[in-house]
Amino acid sequence: MHSACLRKRGWLRMTLLVAAIATTAAAHSQFDTTSRVGLGQLRVPSPDQVRLWSLGFDAAVADYYWLRAIGIVGGETGSIAQHEEVLADLIDVVTEVDPWVDHPYRFAAVWLTRDREMVERGNRLLERGISYHPLDWRNRYHLAFNYFYYLDEQPRAADVLEGAIGLEGAPLYLAPLVARLRSERGGLQVAAAFLVQMVESTEDQYKRAEYLKALDEIQIEERARLLDAARAEYWRRNGRDIERVADLLAGPDPVLQRLPRAQLYLDGFEWILEPETGQIVSSYYRGRYRLHETQTDRARKQRWREKREGVEGEGA
Amino acid sequence: MSASAEIVRVDDLVKDVRPGFGLRKKRVLDGISFRVREREIFGFIGPNGAGKTTTLKVLMGLIRATSGKASILGHDVSETTFRRQIGFLPEQPYFYDYLTGREILRFYAKLSGVSRGCRERRVTQLLELAGLSAEGNTRLRSYSKGMLQRIGIAQALVHDPQVVFLDEPMSGLDPVGRKEVRDIILRLRAEGKTVFMSTHILSDVEMLCDRVAIIVNGRIRYEGAIDEFLHAGEPEADLVFANLPAETATRLEERFEARLRGHGDHIELRIAEKDSSEALRVALDAGADVISATPHRVSLESIFLSTVNEADTEEDSR
Amino acid sequence: MIGRIWAMAVNTAREAIRSKLLYTLLFFSLAMMLLGSVLSMLSYVERERMVQDFAFASIRLFSVAIAVFIGVGLIHKEVERRTVYTILSKPLSRAEFLIGKYTGLLLIIWLQVAIMASFFAGVSLLMGAPLGFTHLAALALIAVEVAVVVALATLFSSFTTPLLASFFSCGLWFAGHLTRDLRDHGANSSSALVREGTAWMHRILPDLESFNLSIEASHQLSVAASDIWFPALYGAGYVAIILASAAMIFERRDF
Repeated sequence: MHSACLRKRGWLRMTLLVAAIATTAAAHSQFDTTSRVGLGQLRVPSPDQVRLWSLGFDAAVADYYWLRAIGIVGGETGSIAQHEEVLADLIDVVTEVDPWVDHPYRFAAVWLTRDREMVERGNRLLERGISYHPLDWRNRYHLAFNYFYYLDEQPRAADVLEGAIGLEGAPLYLAPLVARLRSERGGLQVAAAFLVQMVESTEDQYKRAEYLKALDEIQIEERARLLDAARAEYWRRNGRDIERVADLLAGPDPVLQRLPRAQLYLDGFEWILEPETGQIVSSYYRGRYRLHETQTDRARKQRWREKREGVEGEGA
Repeated sequence: MSASAEIVRVDDLVKDVRPGFGLRKKRVLDGISFRVREREIFGFIGPNGAGKTTTLKVLMGLIRATSGKASILGHDVSETTFRRQIGFLPEQPYFYDYLTGREILRFYAKLSGVSRGCRERRVTQLLELAGLSAEGNTRLRSYSKGMLQRIGIAQALVHDPQVVFLDEPMSGLDPVGRKEVRDIILRLRAEGKTVFMSTHILSDVEMLCDRVAIIVNGRIRYEGAIDEFLHAGEPEADLVFANLPAETATRLEERFEARLRGHGDHIELRIAEKDSSEALRVALDAGADVISATPHRVSLESIFLSTVNEADTEEDSR
Repeated sequence: MIGRIWAMAVNTAREAIRSKLLYTLLFFSLAMMLLGSVLSMLSYVERERMVQDFAFASIRLFSVAIAVFIGVGLIHKEVERRTVYTILSKPLSRAEFLIGKYTGLLLIIWLQVAIMASFFAGVSLLMGAPLGFTHLAALALIAVEVAVVVALATLFSSFTTPLLASFFSCGLWFAGHLTRDLRDHGANSSSALVREGTAWMHRILPDLESFNLSIEASHQLSVAASDIWFPALYGAGYVAIILASAAMIFERRDF
């Protein structure tokens, strides 16, 4: 009798517990539980606040905000673009609290590309990265890329990139790249002068060879530009374009007496019309001396610019 | 008696406390003074709340007196180094119960500055004295109340002090335990120590103490030798006879101003002590049998109660 | 004197080592180190460093927690249980009692820090993360910070209840980490009261940020010897001042 009573009470308690669990779960499912990140409402405190309240846990706190930043990029199936402000805020906090972090600077450079404002925020972060890691070429490289690619500021890109030359781990192509960037605005003379100076200032045989190769290419480019001028003259005289480069020497009144060498030291190379662009190129280089852009690069850049102009148009 | 023989001197000690956060002051000790002399067992008696423990705490430096002076062995009680020569058993002592009896005595021996060489010997001796040799390696957690009281006495004595202060040493002990503690106290006196004990168990005081002070409501009501206290008047004796002829009884009553009680075969006679031999002779000559002859003792309890009552009426009339 | 303090310290250590709280917190600190290892997997770069950061944070957090939550009962419990009666009746000054209690607890907490540090080293080795002098320096300064926090807890424990003492100790620990920034923010204030107020707070409250080398340890930045010794000296001085104040308060207490 007594034990039956106890058992009954046990069942009653069990039922009440199950009912309580069911009610709690049902209630929980009835309201919106999207996280602030999900709602795009994540409030990132200011770096000053975070630093103040990190209470000696700076390194771990910086890591925490870094993980949140990664979470946004990694968890996002749609466009990252709508989260770029939050990302920028997060990386700002991370790099203010722990400025010696390494990767987050470049993470910012990669993801903050939506518009000019975002790229400039990315650049400010990269500049902080450079000041804390002055011997790391990568932050400089990303900054130069942003100047060149998004902001069309080749001279600044060249200045930034020049700082990366010779840093540990920096690839050999940086100096020639700087020369190319310089050539876009300052012309071939500036690029050549820069390379000559680089050749003179290095002891490294490999680097020297790399620079000399770039200088060679500039010489060929100078010749190619001469041929361009001759081509224009040909058009003026004959009212039509050349079909082959040899046309410049042909006819009763040839524009040129002879063609320069298409390769400075090697025989067997000639000047040809590049099929895709129709430009006069050396068959050795098969391209002209300028910054290389792939098809997708061009398309992306175009989209970005159009959008930017649209935004600026709206602003005006 | 020379000043150096005064082991404890308390002069005009006042202690005010503020119970709670109020500004109202309560006077716990109201200008008490007394002396404890060398090699005596001094009983400090009074009802609960009279100020016994407060006085002891002042003497042990646990609380500071509001005014007045207290010194032990000529040192002000605020000093610490002289405490090497005193031992203290608080009321209902509590010790770190995760230590064994041996460990706790070792700890107190270290605190008292017992040299490393003597320490183990002293600890073993005291465990023996306290009757805890078998429980030396048992944690205090499983000690009974009586055992804790005994380990408390052992820690008070571990550094072989000259003066021992015991606050209610018999409380919570069974008759056997009380007997053991009494024996320890008597042994201390035999070793030439001075013992100060506070208590409200009067039979112990009667049995042990040489001198007492009675404290009531924070004032000392009496201080002096216990015998003087008990026999304030002329000492008397109780004589018990069988077969005492009636006329002899009447004669004794008239001659010695004796008080008579009982009847028939059992007659009790209270008489001045100085007359008792003469009275016995008279009774024996008359053919009476002596059953007992004992000095009459006034119970401490009755005196104590009348002292307390006196103090209370005094307070009331003020 | 040293003997008496040491006897007190050893006994306090024996008591502290029996505390369940100590083991609970130690367990949580080790668990948090493991959790940190898991969290760091979320990152695709600098994982080893993050494991170390979380482990270090865990050491700091839990050693301070142990310091506060065991420290606040240190003196209060003795008074509450009246064990202080027999102890103070021995030839032991109250200051010696206090310093002994403090030393005992500090030694146990330092032992905990050492255990956590060895776990940290183990995790680092397992992850192939670098271990360097800066880690050692940062750990040493955590030990100094803990010494200051234990002293604060002891101070409060000498006159108030454990609950209030833990509020006060935690509050001061927070404030100790904020004063530097508050002073810098205050310096920009137009009000002279705020400027002077925040500057004085920084001078008076424990500047616990002095003991924070977490960023330096995280990146193995080189640390000047003066950045270790002066904070350590500052910490030792601060502990001495707090304990002296605690002793002064304790001397005046009635039990």
